Amino acid sequence: MKIQKKKTKPSLPDIILPEKLVLFLRNPMGVLGLTLVLLIIISAVFAPLFATHNPFTMDIANRLAGPSFDNFLGTDQLGRDTYTRVLYGGRVALQVAAIGVSVSLVVGLTLGMIAGYGPLWLDNMLLLLFDAIRSFPTIVLALAAVALLGPSLSLVMTIVIITSIPGYARLARTSTLSIKNTEFILAEQSLGASMKRVLAIHIMPNVIGPLLILAAMDVPVVVTIEAGLSFLGLGVQPPTASWGTILNEGYLIIRTTPWIVIAGGIPLILTTLGFTFLGESLRDVFDPRLRKGK
Amino acid sequence: MWSYLLKRILLSVLIVFLAILALFITLHSIPGDPISIALGPRATPEIQAEYAARMHLDKPLYHQFVIFIGNVIKGDLGNDLFSNRSVLLILSEQLPYTIVLAITAIGWSALIGIPLGCLSAVKPNSLLDKITGIVSVGTIAIPSFLVSIWAILIFSVGLKWLPVIGAGEPGDFGDQIYHLILPAFAVGLGWVGYLARMVRASMLEVMSENYIRSANAFGLKSRTIIFRYALKVAILPTITLIGVGFGALLSGTVFAEIIFSRPGIGKIIYNMVLARNFPVIQGAVLITIGMYVIVTLIADLIVSWLDPRVRDTL
Amino acid sequence: MTKLLDVKNLNVDFRTPLGRVHALRDINFSITKGKIVGIVGESGSGKSTVIWTITQLLAQNAIIKSGTANFNGMDLLKADKDTIRGIRGEKISMVFQDPMTSQAPVLTYGEQMNDIMYRKNKLSRQEKREKAIAMMRRVGIPDPESRIDQYPHQFSGGMRQRAGIAMSMLVEPSLLIADEPTTALDVTMEAQIIHLIRELQKETDTTIMVVSHNLGLIAELCDEVIIMYAGEILESGKIQEIYSNPSHPYTQALLACDPARENKKTRTLSVIPGDIPDLHVKPKGCVFVSRCELAVQNCHIERPKNHQISSSNHFAKCHLLDPKSTQAQTPTNPKKVTKTKVNSERFSHKDEIHLLNVKNIQVRFPIMTKLKAKLKGINKPYVDAVFNASLTLERGETLGLVGESGSGKTTLGRAILGLVRAKSGSVEYNGLDLCQLTSREFKPLRRNMSMMFQDPIGSLSPRQTVRSLMIEPFKIHGIDKNFDEEAKRLCDTVRLPENFLSRYPHELSGGQARRVGVARALALNPEFIIADEPTAGLDVSVQGEILNLMNDLQDEHGIAYLVISHNLPVVRHISDKLAIMYLGRLIETGDSAKIFDKPAHPYTEALVNGIPQPDPKKRRKLLSIEGEIPSLTNRPPGCEFHTRCKYVQKKCKFDPPSIKTLSDGREVLCHFPLEI
Repeated sequence: MKIQKKKTKPSLPDIILPEKLVLFLRNPMGVLGLTLVLLIIISAVFAPLFATHNPFTMDIANRLAGPSFDNFLGTDQLGRDTYTRVLYGGRVALQVAAIGVSVSLVVGLTLGMIAGYGPLWLDNMLLLLFDAIRSFPTIVLALAAVALLGPSLSLVMTIVIITSIPGYARLARTSTLSIKNTEFILAEQSLGASMKRVLAIHIMPNVIGPLLILAAMDVPVVVTIEAGLSFLGLGVQPPTASWGTILNEGYLIIRTTPWIVIAGGIPLILTTLGFTFLGESLRDVFDPRLRKGK
Repeated sequence: MWSYLLKRILLSVLIVFLAILALFITLHSIPGDPISIALGPRATPEIQAEYAARMHLDKPLYHQFVIFIGNVIKGDLGNDLFSNRSVLLILSEQLPYTIVLAITAIGWSALIGIPLGCLSAVKPNSLLDKITGIVSVGTIAIPSFLVSIWAILIFSVGLKWLPVIGAGEPGDFGDQIYHLILPAFAVGLGWVGYLARMVRASMLEVMSENYIRSANAFGLKSRTIIFRYALKVAILPTITLIGVGFGALLSGTVFAEIIFSRPGIGKIIYNMVLARNFPVIQGAVLITIGMYVIVTLIADLIVSWLDPRVRDTL
Repeated sequence: MTKLLDVKNLNVDFRTPLGRVHALRDINFSITKGKIVGIVGESGSGKSTVIWTITQLLAQNAIIKSGTANFNGMDLLKADKDTIRGIRGEKISMVFQDPMTSQAPVLTYGEQMNDIMYRKNKLSRQEKREKAIAMMRRVGIPDPESRIDQYPHQFSGGMRQRAGIAMSMLVEPSLLIADEPTTALDVTMEAQIIHLIRELQKETDTTIMVVSHNLGLIAELCDEVIIMYAGEILESGKIQEIYSNPSHPYTQALLACDPARENKKTRTLSVIPGDIPDLHVKPKGCVFVSRCELAVQNCHIERPKNHQISSSNHFAKCHLLDPKSTQAQTPTNPKKVTKTKVNSERFSHKDEIHLLNVKNIQVRFPIMTKLKAKLKGINKPYVDAVFNASLTLERGETLGLVGESGSGKTTLGRAILGLVRAKSGSVEYNGLDLCQLTSREFKPLRRNMSMMFQDPIGSLSPRQTVRSLMIEPFKIHGIDKNFDEEAKRLCDTVRLPENFLSRYPHELSGGQARRVGVARALALNPEFIIADEPTAGLDVSVQGEILNLMNDLQDEHGIAYLVISHNLPVVRHISDKLAIMYLGRLIETGDSAKIFDKPAHPYTEALVNGIPQPDPKKRRKLLSIEGEIPSLTNRPPGCEFHTRCKYVQKKCKFDPPSIKTLSDGREVLCHFPLEI
C-alpha cells in the first residue's frame, strides 16, 4: 500500500469544508485581501451612510481645499467633497465589475465548454474567434466605438465584457478539454450517462472553480479599464463621480493641487491589491496546481 | 521549421482577415446611412460622394467588402476628412513614436524584471525573493495610467526633473531621450512586477522537473543548469505572454501618449475621436490589429525556435 | 574484494506539515567493487530515498540525522557542494526511471552529452562528439551520427532509455545507480535493456546499484540483493541464497506473492494483508510485525537484531532466527484463511450463443485533419488502432487480452463497450449486435456490461463521495432502491470498510480506489466486466487482493471478464483464454495455459520469454527479441511482425498472413507457426 506523503487536492468539493476555510485564514495575504475587498464593497454599497457630503453639491468658495476634518480628502475645483465622490465612485466601479464580470463569466463558460466538448471544427472556429477578439487592444476598440456611438457607461461595459469573454472562454475550454479526456468521464459514459448529465453534473462543477478565481482576479482589471476610459472622457460622463473622472479632473489641475489625483488613485490600488490577494489565496487553497503564475 | 512558419503566417493572415471582416460588419450593421457612419457627421457632401463612388455603395455587400479588402491591401486607407491627406501617410508619421515608446518600455522592464524573477526562483524565500515579491505586487497594483499621472506629479510637478509634454525636438536625440524617460518608465513599471512573477513561477516549476534533477545528478555546474536547462524552458511562456500582452502594452502606450501629449498612434486616435474623423480611426484600428498579429507571430516564432517540441506540433 | 561504497547507520527524516517522517532507519550495507547489487522494495520502502541521500540530491525538507556513506575513502554525506558535484560528474552516475521526463527537452542529445563531459578538458569538442557517438552505437541506437543531433522527443521510449544509459556511461563512472530502469518500458524492451546493462557491466567492470520493485529484474541482473521494507533493511545477501532460501518472513511472503514464481496455475494469489505502518511513529518492535503471519510476542516489543545466516554474507533482521529470543512464544497474528483453488476446470456454459462475439472490429482514429496531412505529405492521416480483431467469450469465463503499448488492447476494450466507435465489424452480445444500436438502445444493456478503469483514482469523479459514486449507476438507470442499503452492500462485497463511504477519491489509496471501481462495475449485477489493467500501479504484495476479489465474484455470480493487461505473469494466473495483440491485430488466441506453455506465434514466444524470471537460476542467456514496435502510421508490409521476427523468411516480408487454426484449437496469424 502506498503512503500518501502529500495530500493532493484535485478540485473543489461540493461545500466549502471548514478545513479549507481554516487553510484560507492561515494565509495572511488572503485575509488582507478579503478585508480590503469587504471594505471596498461595503463602502460602495453603503456610500450614503459613510459619506459626509452630497457628491454633487458644489461649494465654490471652498474649492481646492486640502484635507481637513470637514473634507477628509479635500475638495475639487468645484468645491465638491472629494472623499464623498470617491465613495460614490466606488459604486460605479463595483457596478461595472459586478455586471461585467458576471456576464463575461457566464458567456465565457458556456462558449468554452462548447468549444472543449463539442466537435473539432466548432472548437477551431471558436478559437479563431477568441484570438481575433483578443487582437484588439481594448483602448483602441474603445476609442473606435466611442467615435461611432458616443461616450457612455454602457458602452464601456459592453467593451469590457466583449474583451473579457475570450479569457474566460479559453480557461473554460482548457479545463473542459482536460476533464473530457480523463477516465472518469469515460467511466460515466460506460455507465450510460447522457451528455447532458455529463456536462451539467460532472464537467461544469469542475470547470467553474478556476473561472471563479479568474473572475476575482479580473475585477481589478475591469475596474481599471473603466477608470481609464472614464479618465479619457469616454465612459462615465460628468458630473457623475467615478474614480476615472476624479482622476481626470485632478490631472487637469495637477499643478495646483496634488490631492485629487492621489485621492482618485488610492482606491484603484486598494481594489487591485485586495482582489488580487483574495484571488491568489483562493487559488492556493483550492487548487495549488493552478499556481503557474498566470 | 519552414512549414511551421508558413502555417503561422497563414493563421495570422486569417485572423487579420477576420478582424477586418468584423470591422466591416460592424460598420454596416449600425443603424443608419453607411456613409455618415463611415465618415461621420462632419463629412462634406463632396467627401461623401467620393466615398460612395470609391466604395461602390450601390453594389452588393460582399462586393463592397472585396473592394474594401482590396483597398486595404493596396494601402489605400482612405483620406483624412479635413486635410484630405492619405490616412496611411498620417499614420506612418505617427507610428514610429509609438513603436519607440513601446519597445523602450518593455525593454527596460524585461531587462530588470526577468533577471529579478530568475534570481528569486533560484533562491526562493531569500531576502531578495521577498523584496522582489513585494516590489512585484506593488508595481502590478498600480494601473499604468495612474503611474503616468503620479509620475508626472512627482517628477515633473514636484521635483521638476523631467518634462511632461511632447517627445522632444525632432533631430535632437538627447532631448528625445529626455522626453522618453518618464513615459517609458510609466508604461513599463507594471510589467516589471508582472514579468518577475511570471518568470519566477515558471522557473520554480521547471526547476522541480525530473530533467533538472538528472542534470544535477550528472554533476553539471549550477550556472549551466540554470541558464541552459532551466531558463531556456522557463522563458517560453513568458515570451508568449509578452506577445499576447502586446495589446495591454499598446493600451498603456496609448494612455501614456495622451497623458504626456506625445505624438503617436494613440494620440492621433484620441484626437480624431473627438473630431470624429472616421477614416483615420479606421486606419489606426487596422494598423494596431496588424501590429498585434505581427508581434504575436514573432513571439511564436521565437518560442518555436527555442523549443523544438513546438515545431513538430501544429 | 574492495568495498566501493560502505553505508553505515544511515538515518533520514523528512519534515512534513503533519510532522516528521522517519523515512530511513539504521541503514547499513556495502557494495563490493565490480558487483551488481539490487535494492528491492515496494512503495514506501525507502529504496529511492537511499539513492538520493548518497548523492545528496534529497529534497529540501530532508534531514540526515546520522550516518556515513564511505565512497572510496570519502564520506559522501559530509562532502561539500562542489566536491559532491564533482563526484556526480565523474565517479557516480545515474540512470533514471522515466526516460520521458528525465531528459532535457530543449537540447539535443549531442549538446547534453557534451555538457556532461565538460570536465574532460583534455578532449576537444570533436573528440567528445566522437566519444558520444561511439557510446550511442554501443547502447544500440541505430545511425548515431545523425541521431545525436536530434531531440529527446524524437526518440521512442526504449531508445530514450538507451540514450539515458549512454549518457550515464559517458563519464566512465565507478558506480552506476539505476533507479527502476525498466519500469516505464514494455516487456520486450525491458529484456533488451537488461541484456544491455549486463553486457556493459562485463565490458567496463562498472559497479552497479539497481533499485527496483520488480523481483524478476533483480534476479536477472544482480549478484547481491538487499530487501527493504518501510525504511529498514530486512534481509541482504547473495542472490541465489535469498531467492532460494529466504529467511525473513517478509522476503518469504514477497516471493510467494509474485505470480511469475508460481508455476502452477492457482487462480488465487498470495497477498500480504495490511498496510505499511505510519512512519511518523518510530516502530517499537519489528517494523513488519503488523503484517507478519509468524509474529510472536517479542516481535511487538523488541527491535530485532541482524542475524547472520550461513557463512556467506546473508543477513536477516528477524527475531525468529534467534531461537532464544522467541522461546515458547506463539503467533499473535491470526493466520488468514485463504481459499485455494487448485486447477479446477472452469465451469463454463457451452451455450450455442457466445456471451460475446467480436467479429472483424476495426477502429480508426484520425490523427490530423486532411489539410494538414496534405501539407505534410502524409498519405494516410489516420491510424488503425484495432484492425480486423475477432474473439469470443463465454459466460463465466476470463479472457486475457495481452499486448504492449500501441497494441490497441485498451481501444478494443473500449470499442466493445461502445465508448469508441468502430469503423467496421460487429460486437455481438448475446447475439445482439451492439454496433448497430443507438445510444438510447444501448443504455439498458449497460447494466449487463461494465468496465473497471486503469487509473483507479482518475476514473472517479473528484467531487463526489464514495457513496455517491457507488449509487450513481442506479441513478443513471433510474432504478429506485434504498441507496444506503445498496451502498453498504457494495462496500461489503468489495471488502471496503463502511466508513469509507464519506471519503473523496483523493483521500483513497490506489488499492482502495480500485475497489470502489469494482463496486461501481458490480452495482447493477452485470454479466460481463472489462477490467483495464486491474493491477497497474499496485505493489506485488497487494495486487492479489483485487484479483482474488474478482475471482470470488466470478465464482459467486458467474461474471465473465475481459482482462486487459501487459502484465503477463498476472494474466497467466487468472485467464482461461488468452488473446495476444500486436499493432492492433490479434496474432494468437486460444487456451491460456497452452499458449504459455508452448507459444505458437514468434511474438508470443518473445513475450513469454521476455518476462524477467524471479529466479536467478533461470537467467536467460539469449536476447528474446530485437528492435522496437513500429509506429502505427508506418506499418511494415507483409506480416507486420516480420521486422523483429527471429524466424523471418522471405514470404513474411511481403505477403500478409491469414489466420491458421492449430490442432489444439488455437488461432494464429502467422505463415510459419511454431511447433506446439
